[in-house]
Amino acid sequence: MLGDRLNLKSRGESAAKARPTRSAPRPFNRLETYFAWQAETFKDSFRRLRQTPLTSTLTVLVIAIAFTLPMSFHALVKNARQASAGLEATSQISLFLKPDLSDETGRKVAERLKKHPRIAEAGLITKEAGLRELQTHSGFGDALAALDFNPLPAVVSIKPKDSLASPTAMEELLAELRKLPEADFAQFDTEWLMKLRAMLTIADRGVAVFSVLLGFGVVFIVGNTIRLELQNRREEIAVAKLLGATHWFIRRPFLYAGFWYAFLGACLAWLFANLLLLLLRGPATQLAELYGSPYRLSFLSLEETELLLGGSVVLGIAGAWAVVLYHLRRLDPE
Amino acid sequence: MLEFINVTKRYSESGDALSDVSFTLRQGEMAFVTGHSGAGKSTLLKLVPVIERPSRGKIVFDGQPIHRLSEREIPFLRRKLGLIFQDYRLLHDRSVFDNVALPLAIAGYSPSEIGRRVRAALDKVGLLRKEKRCPQALSGGEQQRVGIARAIVHKPTMILADEPTGNLDPELSAEIMNLFREFNAVGVTVLIASHDLGLISRLGGRTLRLRQGKLVEGA
Repeated sequence: MLGDRLNLKSRGESAAKARPTRSAPRPFNRLETYFAWQAETFKDSFRRLRQTPLTSTLTVLVIAIAFTLPMSFHALVKNARQASAGLEATSQISLFLKPDLSDETGRKVAERLKKHPRIAEAGLITKEAGLRELQTHSGFGDALAALDFNPLPAVVSIKPKDSLASPTAMEELLAELRKLPEADFAQFDTEWLMKLRAMLTIADRGVAVFSVLLGFGVVFIVGNTIRLELQNRREEIAVAKLLGATHWFIRRPFLYAGFWYAFLGACLAWLFANLLLLLLRGPATQLAELYGSPYRLSFLSLEETELLLGGSVVLGIAGAWAVVLYHLRRLDPE
Repeated sequence: MLEFINVTKRYSESGDALSDVSFTLRQGEMAFVTGHSGAGKSTLLKLVPVIERPSRGKIVFDGQPIHRLSEREIPFLRRKLGLIFQDYRLLHDRSVFDNVALPLAIAGYSPSEIGRRVRAALDKVGLLRKEKRCPQALSGGEQQRVGIARAIVHKPTMILADEPTGNLDPELSAEIMNLFREFNAVGVTVLIASHDLGLISRLGGRTLRLRQGKLVEGA
């Protein structure tokens, strides 16, 4: 609780040197002394953690995992959301041409559509180009190679002008395209995006619920660890009480211990979550490229890091506080 | 200094441990509480630092009615006392120095002040050279001297010792009792519970004799 820190003094000066040297009595600054003790207790509680490396490591690890799970899920959902927001600006219409049309006709259709007042860009994806893309990216390469004909239609990929931001204008354009004699059918490329966004909203809720549950978990983990420590240090607490220790004095080192467990756990969780994001970055970039997005997976932001560290400290101290308050009441000197 | 007025302590299981005890201890006085085991010596000593509270009666210490002290005030009362126990109650996971420093740390002394005072206390009990030892490496007599150093390091106004020599042989007991004499000589009020009548009579001093919870002599 407090003895170890005193070692500093007993080690530092030899007994002989410390004999009354008759120095002028220094003014006794209470506030300064108070903060000096706070700092000592703070350091001492960390030293205690290191005295039981196995227990401390396990506790910190469990806390780290409890924080890593919601943090990394949150980061993934956030990333997906940001990526999909980027895609919206490029929301496209795919115009599937009738299968019997030649590439030449397709090209002419694309040229004609480029001049359309509501269309910014129109490009033809020939049957062969479509097949090649599907073979390289979809994983159906072998199956497609086994086919002796190309089942894919030619597609004109159309990017509407930005002025067409309103959904009704988009719908009108879509209806107009569908009526073209060369068209088989036309559809927005963004339908899946709507579905994705709906799923992301659900995922967001899930993350929130998850965070609350695991937050409680952290409170209990810290509380339980502190409870065991209280039991191990019963005699010390009893003696300290007999010598006139206030509840505050006894509580303090345990609250600091709660702080350390949660803070170290959160630091580790930060590392884990970012490591996970680093691992996912490569595949995610590839995925984004498939959708024509330049999106790169982002790591935990400064605010998220602050929230993680701040929140963990609050939870850790809360866990320690509850247990210490409850048990010290029942732990009377005799 | 210390006044018991018609103090009764009743335990629900075992009945009256003390009944209607009244006495006054003057500042700088040294007194012994004697009696057979179970006569109420320990109970009497526990009432002063409010480890126990009286069922009836008043206790005044240093002008303060301590029988109705609030939980919050108890620590500050205890800081004025020096408690010594039969089983020493030292903390074995820390050095002699740190054990003695504990009351000062609790009272919030500055580290430099603590170093000075702890060494002065250890010097007084003759253990200055053993400050870095662990209490378990010391003999029983030495351990009790550490306990005494811890009880006097913060310069208490009163020392309360419950069977301080209970676990020690006669020679060591006399040594310990002499220490109490020395503290008393510099004005500290001392109250010692002991059943060692021989030792008490050799030392002299006021004796409060308890029999079955009643004060039968020395009031």
